[in-house]
Amino acid sequence: MEYGVRPSAIAGFFVYAALLWTLLFQQGISYPFVFLFFGAVMGSAWFGGTLAGLLSVALSTLAITYFFVPPVFSMSVNRASKSYLVAYAICATAISWVSSSRKRAETRILNSRDQLEERVQERSAEIQRSHEEIVESERQLRLLTEAIPQQIWRAAADGTIEYCNQHLLNYTGRTADRMTGDQFVSVLHGDDREGFSEAWANAVNLAVEFEDECRICGADGHYRWFLIRSIPQFSTNGQIVRWYGTHIDIENRHRAEHALNLAQVELSQQSRTLSMGEMAASIAHELNQPITAVVTHAYACRQWLAADPPNLERASSTAEKIVQESTRASAVVAGVRGLFQGREPTRESADINRLVRSLVQLLRDEAIQRDVIVRTRLDTNLPQTLCDPVQIQQVMLNLAINGMDAIAKTDGPRELLIESAFRDSHEILIRMDEETTTKLFVPFFTTKPHGAGLGLSISRSIIEAHDGKLWATPRMAGGTVFQFTIPVVS
Amino acid sequence: MSRPYDSREPIVFVVDDDASICEGICNLLESVGLRAKTFGSTQEFLDNWNEDMPGCLVLDVRLPGITGIEFQEELARSGINIPIIFMTAHGDIPMVRKVMKAGAIEFLTKPFQREELLHGIGQALETDRARRVAWESERSIQTRFQSLTSREREVMNLVTSGMLNKQVAADLCLSEITIKQHRRRVMEKMQADSLADLVRMADKLQRLIQASSNKR
Repeated sequence: MEYGVRPSAIAGFFVYAALLWTLLFQQGISYPFVFLFFGAVMGSAWFGGTLAGLLSVALSTLAITYFFVPPVFSMSVNRASKSYLVAYAICATAISWVSSSRKRAETRILNSRDQLEERVQERSAEIQRSHEEIVESERQLRLLTEAIPQQIWRAAADGTIEYCNQHLLNYTGRTADRMTGDQFVSVLHGDDREGFSEAWANAVNLAVEFEDECRICGADGHYRWFLIRSIPQFSTNGQIVRWYGTHIDIENRHRAEHALNLAQVELSQQSRTLSMGEMAASIAHELNQPITAVVTHAYACRQWLAADPPNLERASSTAEKIVQESTRASAVVAGVRGLFQGREPTRESADINRLVRSLVQLLRDEAIQRDVIVRTRLDTNLPQTLCDPVQIQQVMLNLAINGMDAIAKTDGPRELLIESAFRDSHEILIRMDEETTTKLFVPFFTTKPHGAGLGLSISRSIIEAHDGKLWATPRMAGGTVFQFTIPVVS
Repeated sequence: MSRPYDSREPIVFVVDDDASICEGICNLLESVGLRAKTFGSTQEFLDNWNEDMPGCLVLDVRLPGITGIEFQEELARSGINIPIIFMTAHGDIPMVRKVMKAGAIEFLTKPFQREELLHGIGQALETDRARRVAWESERSIQTRFQSLTSREREVMNLVTSGMLNKQVAADLCLSEITIKQHRRRVMEKMQADSLADLVRMADKLQRLIQASSNKR
């Protein structure tokens, strides 16, 4: 309920207005005309509230009493008019009450409408904001997917690829519609497609993270190795919404792994090749021990027999020792033979020049140690040979080391020349030319104290097993030329 | 075979981890009347050897745990002077050079000739004998010198430095006759036949004193 000046002013205004109009219309109507006062009460209660309504009831009653109830222009009321006035007051009060309560109800409705409207506006502003945020974050995400140097794609829940980022499109040199859906596998290497499709379908079925290594064709037509990874995005109720995939370029890693594998294969070949010299030395040592024992016992035996009188007892026991030690020596020889028969020789197509080049690499340390320069003169138009590359390299290594050892003992030019050439249209000839002033080649003969002569004879048997020939010729200017031939692939 | 050995008779010590080599060498040495003892390792040898045993060492270059060359250095460090003959199944020139420089008598490549081995051993035993003789004589001179009185030592020092009896007497404030008596006793005690002999002994003593002070 309102108090103060405003309700009084409103009540006064309405009652005054009603009074003026009623006085105006009074001329034409004989009976006290009070409808306008009802209107004033209604208006006051409506605009000014309950208090204004009651005030206007009071004011209008006074005005009617004064102006219209006989005796007019006096506050006195006669008996007949009293009931009329009371009836008016009651009616006016009822109107005032109805009007003010109607007004309150309408005001409440209006208020709640206003509140509702306000809330609606707030909500729509919020929606607007979040929409902007979504747009912005989407823009940033897109920016991010394009900014990071990564190939990214997105797939639907069923695994169908729907979107590829610009990097991926740039790399493959295709448009988006030629990369999505079933088209995706077409950028993979033919050998990888089936494996990828199977693994991807499997991951989609099981809803597990996906990982695979595939070759992807670039815009330049070259394939590079990629690690393809994809993770599913789940909705709140645990359903897969979509998949996100990335490609990581692992070409360099693949190359490094490949190179490592090659190096390891090479290394194992080299260690097998190198072990031959060591083996020859250890065989020599193994043989030397029993031979030394045999020789010393033999000398002793002769001495016991030469004594006066001959010591037959000691001579006989010494002879027994000689037999024992000789048997031991032959066991060593048998063991060596077994060693060389142990490995099945292979036959594969091989590039002799490549073997020579890797041999030269292998020889570098040995050459430096002996102060020898190793030169090659290779015929670049050689056909492939059919051989056991390991064995052939062993032969070349053995000849080269022998040659360098011989050179190292001389004062002349210290150079080892390795030549390859095509001969008689069916053989490749390898020459090892050592510039020394020593010796010619005899099987089981060596200039060295630790018997690598064995290596030479093994070399010859290897070459003969390849249907080739190994021989040596003395050079006019000194030194020896070792040569061997290997048949080419027919 | 079972004849008794004189403790002064030299022994050839053979060290090789290959028993058959040891046996062969031992057999050969016995057949020419030499005494030999064989060992499978250098430690075994050290456990059975002492300074009073004349002889030489036949040593394999490759031994378990230690190389013959390292053992040679170890012996030199401990002041053991036994002559060494090396043998190897795979010797190379730098190795030969090294061991020979360090005082090895011979370097044999297996299998070796009888003469190579026996010649080497003969040479080694002779080296050992000569070293022992020299050592013995030095030791006896020292013992004799120690039997002199301090006056006699003074007289010996001055006389061997080339002074006449008269000068010695003046130097020591004694009569010439007393000096002559001292000098006679010095000659007797040092078992010197002549003054020249005594001078040589004095030289040797000088060297021994110098050597021992160097060692310290």
